[in-house]
Amino acid sequence: MFVLRFLVATLLSKLGLSGMAILGLVAIWAATPAPAQDGPLRIEITEGVVEPLPFAVPVFVAENAAAEQVARDITRVVAADLVSTGLFREIPAEAHIASVSSFDQSVAYSDWKAINAQALIVGAVSVGSDGRVETRFRLHDVFAGAELGQGLRLGGTTQAWRRIAHKVADQVYGRITGEGGYFDSRVVFVAEEGPKDARRKRLAIMDYDGENVQFLTDDATLVLAPRFSPTGDRVLYTSYETGFPQIYLLDVGTVQRQVLADEAGTMTFSPRFSPDGSRVVYSASRGGNTDLFARALGGGEATRLTSAPSIETAPSFSPDGSQIVFESDRSGTPQLYVMPSTGGEARRISFGPGRYGTPVWSPRGDLIAFTKQASGRFHIGVMRTDGSEERLLTASFLDEGPTWAPNGRVLMFTRQGAGAEARPEIYSVDVSGRNLKRVPTPGSASDPAWSPLLP
Amino acid sequence: MELSTALKISGGAHGALVLLALVGGIFSGDFDEAMQVTEVSVISGAEFAALVEQSGSGTPSPGAEAESEPEPEPRPEPEPEPDPEPTPEPEPEPDSAPPEAAAPPAVPETAGEVLAPEPGDTPAPAPRVAPRPADRPERDVAVAPEMQEAAEPVPADETSPEPAERQEAEAPEAASTRIVTEATEEGGAEQIALAPAAAPRPRTRPDRPAPSPEPEPEQVARPEPEPEPEPEPEPEPESDPLSDAIAGAVADAVAGGGAAQGDPGPPMTAGERDALRLAVQECWVVDVGSEAANVTVTVGMRMSPDGTVIDGTLQMLEASGGSDAAIQSAFQSARRAILRCQRGGYDLPPEKYAQWEEIEMVFNPEEMRLR
Repeated sequence: MFVLRFLVATLLSKLGLSGMAILGLVAIWAATPAPAQDGPLRIEITEGVVEPLPFAVPVFVAENAAAEQVARDITRVVAADLVSTGLFREIPAEAHIASVSSFDQSVAYSDWKAINAQALIVGAVSVGSDGRVETRFRLHDVFAGAELGQGLRLGGTTQAWRRIAHKVADQVYGRITGEGGYFDSRVVFVAEEGPKDARRKRLAIMDYDGENVQFLTDDATLVLAPRFSPTGDRVLYTSYETGFPQIYLLDVGTVQRQVLADEAGTMTFSPRFSPDGSRVVYSASRGGNTDLFARALGGGEATRLTSAPSIETAPSFSPDGSQIVFESDRSGTPQLYVMPSTGGEARRISFGPGRYGTPVWSPRGDLIAFTKQASGRFHIGVMRTDGSEERLLTASFLDEGPTWAPNGRVLMFTRQGAGAEARPEIYSVDVSGRNLKRVPTPGSASDPAWSPLLP
Repeated sequence: MELSTALKISGGAHGALVLLALVGGIFSGDFDEAMQVTEVSVISGAEFAALVEQSGSGTPSPGAEAESEPEPEPRPEPEPEPDPEPTPEPEPEPDSAPPEAAAPPAVPETAGEVLAPEPGDTPAPAPRVAPRPADRPERDVAVAPEMQEAAEPVPADETSPEPAERQEAEAPEAASTRIVTEATEEGGAEQIALAPAAAPRPRTRPDRPAPSPEPEPEQVARPEPEPEPEPEPEPEPESDPLSDAIAGAVADAVAGGGAAQGDPGPPMTAGERDALRLAVQECWVVDVGSEAANVTVTVGMRMSPDGTVIDGTLQMLEASGGSDAAIQSAFQSARRAILRCQRGGYDLPPEKYAQWEEIEMVFNPEEMRLR
């Protein structure tokens, strides 16, 4: 027992000593200031989610009886525009808790918050005795509990109600994304009919969403590759009216057309406007060699931009007009090159495997879209203007001829499947590669060209 | 003498008893027999059920099912028979009808013989099953569109306030599934951070039993709900349970740093910071194709003790990488993320309020843009 007691006493004393020592250390540690975070707590967030932003758009308030139908129509088009981007998701009206009966009533943000609506569009429509449609709208940031931007009033004829709706949607899109919209724009394209070996083609124009299709030419002659002017009121295109390809200039309003350059024995094609609309750059084939030329719209002689034995074609200006990207097979296969818009030394920017063609400079200026053929498939892709960061957005049997939305955010292009029965159709895709979908057209369609945002 | 005699008698009797125990084999045979146990292997319920089914004489319930199943089988047979009966002439049929009509009554008699093999062979279920699958695809097809629509309209059909709550409940789920991998990683980090706080406590228990077992459990119970305030009162007044105080202090020191004697309180742990980060990024919607995806924006805000942002304090402190419009869009997106995900308040440790009263959040979409 004595031994046991001795052992326990020793153990306790040692424990006590070491315990005191530890306690002292801890006390010193506690006394020293904590590893201070200077100022506020700082958190870095690098991972978000990619998902559509939920919004609510109650039917616009009809301020008089004549406006009831058009108010509903405008509301639907606004919602459809936003949803079509893939960036927004509409919360159906059945889920709405609050109702909007007056344009000026205060917004019950909590009710919209409860259904997780992040944006709320409130509008009102009235139709005057002269048939003039007047639309007002406000955009609310629900979770901030505040209006996003100022309220806006838009007016137009009854026939132009779709444009009014597109403009409302453009405003909403712009205020939320910080970018310009593209809904109030049009697309000129080649409408195709008939079998593959005897296809009739004519120029047509439609709203960006496939509505209001109108034909600009008859199907008597083959037409190709229409291109909008920077103001959207004229179209350049290639026609076989005289038997071989020549460039024509068409006034969209009057449908009057004229030959751009009557150069006997010269095939001219692949035209495109300069950003200021004063010049046209195009390809001309003389004596079996194709080079790039530029010409002022007011008249005068053509300026040669390239002089190589290879084929140079598909020129496209940079938004500032200082450079031209084009396609050339001078290296053996079609590749993309960039040169000053006045001509001069060209710099190759495409180096991946396969063939590159139909480059188009983004209106934003940061990217160049192109068609790529590799491993038996066609792709629509984008790359930086120096050729870096190439990204292929689509892949199919035949994708070609991209054209940019006015805000440089979406691309339209022609897609055609394999086989004799396959018909060309117009597709659109977000520049991120998402939201690929077919653009509704009455029949087969190809060669889309997107207009700028309408005034 | 009497004592010695008694001692001798007792010693002799005990000695004899010991000898009997050693020689008589009391410890040998009985135990072996008692310890002989049949080997047992652990099987799952499913395996057991399978074994029972194989043996056939298992529980009565499956047997009853097997018997009851064959019974309906003959019933469908008579059903098709009556169909032909009503259709054509009555006269020629009587010949064939009697055997058919006789079959149903015969069912119970022959059923016992016929049914026995059927459940084992299971040919009977097959024809039954065959017609059913034909129906199922139709149901699936019919269900699919409803399900797709249900995602949004479901709330619509019901009363308005309910769908709202459901949508909110659904959104975080969808988001959380994406972040599951990170969340699990971060969750692991939190657990690691919390582990030391829990680990030292067990140490106190083995120490305590020696000095005083009773007061300790009470103290132990207190530390669990309030881990941090403990060290302050314990070390100062109670110097007796040294080990307890040491363990508590060490545990807190390991877990979060120094004791909360200063005003700012203990710093936020990595787990707590990550929890806040995850909560916000769950609601941060990034439009990777937009110009705003090039903008890194820093947002500052003041928090109320309940973990919500104080109205009007959320503001942009810094931004880089885009046009003014893009910066505004990036800021709005960040603001929506913070305000939307706060719901009833972020889950922040109230005792460290001084640490998170002011928060700066940097929203950097670079990694998302490069994907």
